[in-house]
Amino acid sequence: MTVRRFLSRYAIYVALVVECAVLALATDAFFTVGNLENVLRQNAFPAIIAAGMTFTILTAGIDLSVGSVVGLAGVVCADAIAHGWGLAPAIGAGIAVGVVVGVANGLVVTRVRIPPFIVTLAMMLVVRGVALKYTNARTISDLPPLLSPLSRGLPMATAMVIVFALAWVALERTAFGRHVYAIGGNADAAWLSGVRVNRVLMAVYVGCGACAGLAGVLVASRLNAGYPRAGELYELDAVAAVVVGGTSLFGGRGSIWGTLAGAFFIGILNNGLNLYNVSPYDQMIAKGVVLLAATSLDRWRTE
Amino acid sequence: MILGSLSASGLSKSYGGVPVLSGVDFDVRGGEVHALVGENGAGKSTLIKILGGAVRPDAGRVVMDDVPLPLGDPRRIRVLGVSLVYQEFTLIPELTVSENIFLGRECGRAWLRREAMAREARQVFADLDVDVPVHARVTSLSVAHQQMVEIARALASDTKALILDEPTASLSGREVERLLAVVARVKARGLGVVFISHRFEEVFAVADRVTVLRDGRRVLQAPAAALDRPTMIRAMVGRDVSEELPPRAIMPASSTAPREVVLEVQGLTAGTRCVDVAFSVRSGEIVGLAGLVGAGRTSVGLAIVGATPASGTVRIAGSTVRFRSPAQALAGGVAYLTEDRKRRGLFPLMTTSANMTISRLGAFARLGILSLAREREAVTSAARDVGIRTAALSQLAGTLSGGNQQKALAARYLLGRPLVLILDEPTRGVDVGARSEIYALMNRLTAQGLAILMISSDLPEVLGIADRIVVMREGRVRGELARQAATPDTVMALATHA
Repeated sequence: MTVRRFLSRYAIYVALVVECAVLALATDAFFTVGNLENVLRQNAFPAIIAAGMTFTILTAGIDLSVGSVVGLAGVVCADAIAHGWGLAPAIGAGIAVGVVVGVANGLVVTRVRIPPFIVTLAMMLVVRGVALKYTNARTISDLPPLLSPLSRGLPMATAMVIVFALAWVALERTAFGRHVYAIGGNADAAWLSGVRVNRVLMAVYVGCGACAGLAGVLVASRLNAGYPRAGELYELDAVAAVVVGGTSLFGGRGSIWGTLAGAFFIGILNNGLNLYNVSPYDQMIAKGVVLLAATSLDRWRTE
Repeated sequence: MILGSLSASGLSKSYGGVPVLSGVDFDVRGGEVHALVGENGAGKSTLIKILGGAVRPDAGRVVMDDVPLPLGDPRRIRVLGVSLVYQEFTLIPELTVSENIFLGRECGRAWLRREAMAREARQVFADLDVDVPVHARVTSLSVAHQQMVEIARALASDTKALILDEPTASLSGREVERLLAVVARVKARGLGVVFISHRFEEVFAVADRVTVLRDGRRVLQAPAAALDRPTMIRAMVGRDVSEELPPRAIMPASSTAPREVVLEVQGLTAGTRCVDVAFSVRSGEIVGLAGLVGAGRTSVGLAIVGATPASGTVRIAGSTVRFRSPAQALAGGVAYLTEDRKRRGLFPLMTTSANMTISRLGAFARLGILSLAREREAVTSAARDVGIRTAALSQLAGTLSGGNQQKALAARYLLGRPLVLILDEPTRGVDVGARSEIYALMNRLTAQGLAILMISSDLPEVLGIADRIVVMREGRVRGELARQAATPDTVMALATHA
């Protein structure tokens, strides 16, 4: 196997291992139970959003509304708890917000045939507006401590593992997953081959919304509050994780494990820069550079 | 006097250790048409891409009138007088004809001199004796006209050697003749022309010399006048191929029980390309749907499987159906295999195996979970049926030869055991060897009772393999010919004028 062939398949995993090795050697703080749990807690929900995003990008689409869904799902979930709902119904309400937004995205994408970029950009504004209006831009706080157990490392990790396991089965072991790749690779051919393209796209946007809704619940659990501005710019973090993980923005090529590795690569980069007390501004610059480097590598390896 | 002598020597190129071109010499002189033939994968595309600068060879050199060409630099090679017209056009669809012709070297600096450009463009077309509106947007032109624009663009830039990559692949009979006339005129202007084609008639019609490539080597180079078809075919495939068309037994006449009508179409109408179309196909029969490109044959195929909205009646095995999508048609036993593999058929980033099963995944799933073992089993046996090597199954479909891609698509639809298979240009861009395998496959399938509707612009193919021929022109059926009554003249008469 040539170097290029190897890199084209495992680049992100190699990068992740090297990153962890460097941090483990360079700092005492990185390789501690406390810090690793911290990394897991901080990156479980971005990874979950990115898992859903992987599906939309594989179909050559995108979902820019996920950040706003995190905000609205969080306030709905928090409000439910403030109104005395139990934990399960409140979580369900948060996820339902994502499902509803996903249905709306899917309907406009498949029926009106507007590009997903525009549809979900518009939905990003609408949903954020609804979250702010719903709360009058105030934070829903002073909640009973129902949600806070979710914010620990174990529940967060469990949610993430379940989401990724389901995503892997759906992508690699079901007809639906094949159809996702097929639509991204050649939508016209997929339709002529009898793939029910609209149905698949609906499912993809609903799934992506549900992931964002779940992430919104997890964010609310960390804040123990419903903050209507939560999740701003998360859509871009998710896209970055997917792309760094090797999934093509043109659709049809990529993997769910790449996304998981991509999300943690970016998360651990943040963590490492924090351990070194790098300023948040420099961290943004570093993330941007990494994104460019990863996509340049992608160009090189597919040429 | 233009000299235009392009000469390549010792060209070699490998991809990932696999040689695709090994020490090939090739040249074309001004005022000559040199045909380059060979099966898909023989190295033709690589050779001309090196000549045009799109690919840099590992070894070898190319000179134009004794000036070495800067290999791998398409822009400078073009300036030195070598122009390549690809099968996929490089025109900008939303610009006009003359804007395209002068793209990158517009007349006038800050202020474009549109009329000067239009005048020069008109002159080029007049020289070629073709009529193309220079102010029309390229997107509104037919494929044949777009190709003329590509050629005109090459001629407007002092080209000395013109390379045409399968220029006739998507043209119909009359357009082909017009193109060949243009090639002759270009040659008469003293240019050297490299002409790639799978169709021997064309090669013999225009070529002065012929070079045959096989497995990346030059196996034959001779004046066209000294060659015949069997010699060329033997050189291409490296063995004797009786002729491309295997014998097809004439359908038993009504002496035995007449076979059941499987597909019956009446009053089928979809836009202006498919008007009041009626015909039928029996079990075990191949019906050819002939006509010029643009006659509406593909529209008929798409209308039958519900890919375009249509009115009229379609009956499958006696019962009336109305398919609203290709998915419904597949479920109802009718499969349509596209003429445009790249755009509407293939998933290039998926494996050959996944390409074959995409329409039938439900058959391999239990509780929604795919059984990869069962899928592999089905794919392996389907690959054997259509003649694809097992090794190709795990390859990405985009890397297969045209012939194997076509077989993979056939396998995709055959896995569903359809009653009716609509094949749209089944051998387009397919090399000689694979072509005869596809015909043999069609014969086998019909022997098992499949009804085939074959849309084809290749007249020898239609005459050779169809049991009955339905001829279309301008969206309507103009006649139906029994195999015995069909000759090139009778078919073309129906296809061309009232």
